[in-house]
Amino acid sequence: MINFFSLEAFKLRHKLRAWLGPLLIMILVLIAFPLSIDISQYDLNKFYFSVIVVSLLMISFLATESIFSEDYEDGSLEQIHLEEKDFYKITLAKILVHVFFIGIPMALIGSIFSFANGVSLAEVPKIFVTLSISTLILFNVFTFGSALSINKGSMLGVVASLPLALPAIVLLGRGVRSVQYGQGFFEVSVLMAGVALIVTALMPIIISATLKTHLE
Amino acid sequence: MLTSFIHRFSSPKSFVEVTALFFPYVMFLGFSCLALGWIWGLAFAPEDAIQGNSYRIIFLHVPASIMAQLIYFFMSICALMHLVWRVKLAAYLIKSAAPVGVLITFIALFSGSVWGIPTWGTWWQWDARITSTLILFIMYLGIITLHSSFSNAEKADRLMSILVVVGVVNIPIIKKSVDWWSTLHQPASISISDGASIDPSMLYPLTISILGMALTMIALGILVSKLYILTREKNKKWVQAYA
Repeated sequence: MINFFSLEAFKLRHKLRAWLGPLLIMILVLIAFPLSIDISQYDLNKFYFSVIVVSLLMISFLATESIFSEDYEDGSLEQIHLEEKDFYKITLAKILVHVFFIGIPMALIGSIFSFANGVSLAEVPKIFVTLSISTLILFNVFTFGSALSINKGSMLGVVASLPLALPAIVLLGRGVRSVQYGQGFFEVSVLMAGVALIVTALMPIIISATLKTHLE
Repeated sequence: MLTSFIHRFSSPKSFVEVTALFFPYVMFLGFSCLALGWIWGLAFAPEDAIQGNSYRIIFLHVPASIMAQLIYFFMSICALMHLVWRVKLAAYLIKSAAPVGVLITFIALFSGSVWGIPTWGTWWQWDARITSTLILFIMYLGIITLHSSFSNAEKADRLMSILVVVGVVNIPIIKKSVDWWSTLHQPASISISDGASIDPSMLYPLTISILGMALTMIALGILVSKLYILTREKNKKWVQAYA
């Protein structure tokens, strides 16, 4: 298992475009939005969270859209299928490595931008926790979409998996509101963490079955 | 034993033969109940004290909304059967039910939108129930798109089944959305545990409409499934003999 993690981390670290690209796009989106509308900072602070949430959703998809494509094309997946008979470990490793290299920095960027748009410094760690847990759920969901559309282009992955991100967005919205109103943050965070753990445990099994279907 | 029972009675050939026996009755009963429920509801049920006559769209909107969720639930059971027991017919039924689901979800959304004008003063509201139903509509379209993207039909069947099973997580969210969030959409008026909170003069035609819609959807589902099975199995001897 450790081998899978180190291998995936090594591969992702050397693909600059794969991890730096989504982060830069997220920063650009978060900068571009306030520039594109002419409203006061007061009004912007009220709904800037929505921009962070939507950009998190889209960038999570972007970060995972080709998570399996290279391995599929060069035959690595087929080899793993022959050796391991299962993709659970590699899928889990891929998702966690992507969350670590892209998801956590995304959550950090989102937290910094929320601070720049009216959230007090004391609340920033809460935003960071909420966004980090959300990226874990979203990366799982979009990795499933990517596995479904492995050789059919990213549009199919979006169509198939975006509706599944609804519960994650609902939870994220709850988390953000709990920070904004200063009530029930712990409860929502625990709920989100529980959902994230369940999704992280189950989704690799589903993705593994999906990948096997592609290779059979 | 269960597996052998399932495989014995779930061949596409038996489905086509068995459903041919009761299809006309289901269709007739469905249309009759729909006609009775709608005529009763539209012409004879009393006017609502607050909403006036505009509430009468309930006789289309509520049955369509219930069916939109039930069809997905049915598809998820079929998907499980396909994934666990590799029942080919189950995949055919999912593929056939998806367009029916699209149609009925569109009717639910459209009728709700039309009802929104006199009651809420707007065609659309980003309310939890409406938005989650829209997501269901997109989900149906996603399933159809996914299946049509693969030339290998068996592979497409399995991938579609996996997506349907995972997507079932949205159904409880749609159902409970009116309880979990403070929404503009009213909570359920008919509940298994708490009974019905609407007057019997409206409840009876509504129940008949729901029954009629369910039977009509079953009839439509049988028709679409039969066409799909005959197309998909066109090279089989039994289909050539059937034609």
